[in-house]
Amino acid sequence: MTRNTEAAFILAGSVLASLGVAMVRFADGGWLDADVALTFISFSLAFGSLHLAFRLWAPNASPLLLPIATFLSAVGGIEVFRLDPELAALQRWWLLVAGAAGAGVLWLLRSSGVAVLRRYRYLFLAAATLFLLLPLLPESWPIHGAVVNGSRLWLRADLPFADQVLSFQPGEIAKVFLTIFLASYLADRAEAMSTVSRSIGPLRIPEPRHLGPVIVAAAAAFAVLVYQRDLGASLLLFGLFIGMLYTASGRSFYLGAGVVLGAAGGFAAYAMFSHVQVRISAWIDPFADYTGAGYQTAQGLFAMGSGSLTGSGLGLGRPDLIPAAATDFVFAAVGEELGLAGSLAVITAYAFLVTVGFGIALRSRDRFRKYLAAGLTILLGLQSFLILAGIVRLMPITGITLPFMSYGGSSLLASALTLALLGRVSHEERT
Amino acid sequence: MNTPLRRAALAILAAFALLAAMTVWIQAFAGPDYRDDPRNPRLTAWRVGRERGAIIASDGTPLARSDPNPADPQTFARVYPASDEYAHTVGYVSVLFGSRGLEKTRGSDLVSHRASTISGVLNAVLGGDPRPRGLRLTIDDDLQRAAVGALAGQRGSIIAVDPSTGAVLASASTPGFDPNILVGADAGPAGQKLEDDAAEPLLHRTIATTYPPGSTFKIITTAAALETGIAGPATEFPDPLALELPGSTATIHNYDDDVCTDGRTVTLEEAFVRSCNTTFGALGMEVGGDMLAQTAEAFGFNSEIPYDLDVLASAFPDPGGIADDPAATAQNAIGQRDVRATPMQMALVVAAVANEGNIMTPYVVGDVFTHDGKIESRTEPEIWRRAISPASAAVLSSLMEKAVISGTGRNAAVPGIRVAGKTGTAEVTGAAPHVWFIGFAPVEPEPGERQIALAIILEDGGPAGETASGGSVAAPIAAELFETYLR
Repeated sequence: MTRNTEAAFILAGSVLASLGVAMVRFADGGWLDADVALTFISFSLAFGSLHLAFRLWAPNASPLLLPIATFLSAVGGIEVFRLDPELAALQRWWLLVAGAAGAGVLWLLRSSGVAVLRRYRYLFLAAATLFLLLPLLPESWPIHGAVVNGSRLWLRADLPFADQVLSFQPGEIAKVFLTIFLASYLADRAEAMSTVSRSIGPLRIPEPRHLGPVIVAAAAAFAVLVYQRDLGASLLLFGLFIGMLYTASGRSFYLGAGVVLGAAGGFAAYAMFSHVQVRISAWIDPFADYTGAGYQTAQGLFAMGSGSLTGSGLGLGRPDLIPAAATDFVFAAVGEELGLAGSLAVITAYAFLVTVGFGIALRSRDRFRKYLAAGLTILLGLQSFLILAGIVRLMPITGITLPFMSYGGSSLLASALTLALLGRVSHEERT
Repeated sequence: MNTPLRRAALAILAAFALLAAMTVWIQAFAGPDYRDDPRNPRLTAWRVGRERGAIIASDGTPLARSDPNPADPQTFARVYPASDEYAHTVGYVSVLFGSRGLEKTRGSDLVSHRASTISGVLNAVLGGDPRPRGLRLTIDDDLQRAAVGALAGQRGSIIAVDPSTGAVLASASTPGFDPNILVGADAGPAGQKLEDDAAEPLLHRTIATTYPPGSTFKIITTAAALETGIAGPATEFPDPLALELPGSTATIHNYDDDVCTDGRTVTLEEAFVRSCNTTFGALGMEVGGDMLAQTAEAFGFNSEIPYDLDVLASAFPDPGGIADDPAATAQNAIGQRDVRATPMQMALVVAAVANEGNIMTPYVVGDVFTHDGKIESRTEPEIWRRAISPASAAVLSSLMEKAVISGTGRNAAVPGIRVAGKTGTAEVTGAAPHVWFIGFAPVEPEPGERQIALAIILEDGGPAGETASGGSVAAPIAAELFETYLR
């Protein structure tokens, strides 16, 4: 594949997005309208600018990233449009912002490469911590935190000049910054962490001080759970820490410790927090409390079951009946209207993207780049898995966004940063 | 240092494989259970679902319409204002019990073309009107209500057609049911009760079930004799007390277990007017099983009648099988033994006699109209088959008229209207006979004058039970309906 093929795929993905929007319009008895054109324009501009940035500043970047991302964004964008055209209009702006941000990152790294990020790791750690704490800002301030659906994840700015509230989920960006920090930290420490100093019976354990990071990970995840009541972000952060520790050290000890601590934390959370108990019981039997805790899961199952093999057709199902269909449950909405065919295509695309990401990590010669690519890929894969697994009842519902597909500016921005960084890493390996 | 990376990659990919497996399970295997779960709000959403086109009777009487849901103007509730009277023909769309009737067979006209299908998109691109079409039926509302009323409390059916066009003027099947109760997501118990009802209210008796036609089949036996020249109205036959059947101990008796006329000879005309089984058994053997089958098939037996709804094929036994069995042929010739006909088929038999031997393709959807009420397409009458020659049809017409003037069909007579018809009393083992009347009026209409052909059947003797005959029970209903439609 070449850059030209990549461009062709981006064009095809943009056409797909606008055709989908047209289908939704037709299903509603409408006609081709501005939304169809604007969808095409925003998709081709956003992904086109990432493509141009690749051409200019990372010409050897993997050409597989953008086509998959365009496809997933197109399917998600169509479904968001079908659920709420006004949200989709906002999403188009976010798409442009995300495309510009991704291109901007590539421009910033054009001569220094990703190595520069490694030097500023504590800056990223500080920024990530700050971002995670931002939603705790008191509500009386002009820029303040907000509680949505029981989770304190949101940052809101009341714009005095407009009758609008700008909402942002800073945690999404914090995850990418944390990954950069961890990759940098582990690149320096991996050697030491993988040395085995002592063993207790058959169990070989590293120096006690190397346990520090694991405990920090568990504590941070638990803190997020306590203060922000966000099961999804908590699990995601913990999984990211443990996954990166394992890939960097190669020590299954970290996996074991992670599982033990995770289980302990899970039990503690289950015992302490009613909202965790509710999530677990809704997972085990969503129909037991159908009108309450199990409602969303049950609606997702009804939607996907009604979609069956080929789906109701775009605009012809009732995904609007699923709570949070445009964000957390966009996959169930796709399953209803595009059927098993659509949902398997989406899962396959994520698996493909994860494979490409790990491929970049595997080929990297430099430790930092390797861990960065691996971390970003684990983040992407884990996040997609957690929410999809919640919808199909492999796990309790965690309430996080589906990268590229869900409505949400912060999520889209984080995904674009991920793409840019992965692209840059793959470029540096081939030059 | 790549080994843990590979393992992590494999773990994540395995997790995705698990996701895919669960998705396949939910959508492909458990899918129908989730879809049909009574708690699935889509069931109610479909009830107050998308707009469907209106269905109206020929005079505009609303039979099915979609009312906007006050709570959510995007959705509609399907209502069948006529309730029982049109239930079988109009049908219904039910989440739990599927769809039937025109709601099913003409569904593509009745739904909006706003679909994400290739044709839907093409239609939108070409600027076609995506709103659902409506159907105007050929059914005469007064006649339909009279027919349903005449069958009240009975199991039976009536179908009436315009012989010169094939337009269905009435199609009644009783007992009926209220389609409104089947539409909703809460229709389970009510629908189950209908499905379990021994009287089979859901059965569309005019087209979806067959009965032995009994003596009404003598029209076809006579037609076979006329077409082959084997006999005419004046041809004389012996008049025995009972007809001995060769190679069999069975005999054929007349309805009153007596001779047909004087016990010596009887003409075909006298035998037709009095509906004598002995004569027609003998005539059937003379005509032969082959010719009988050929004539029955010319009228449409053993074929699926083309119609807006699916019609069960009427059956006349394979000639090869009975050619060597004169006894069977004799019994088939009087509409017993193996012959089975739908009321629709028998209505078309008399319609052919009224229409110079030609059977018009029956239809019940006259016009398809757009959302604005403009006629988009109109059903053009066309000949389905030429059953018999005009000459044979004229002879049969006069025989049938005489049967009403002075024979078994006297109760179908209407003063001032020339009525032609034939009764039938089909014996059923272990139950009261099914009673028939098939006929048409007026004979030889003036140009522009209305004409109607109909078939009436009441199962198990109707209100009269064991003592019932086509002449006593079915023929009076015919008189009433001729009066309703022609006056």
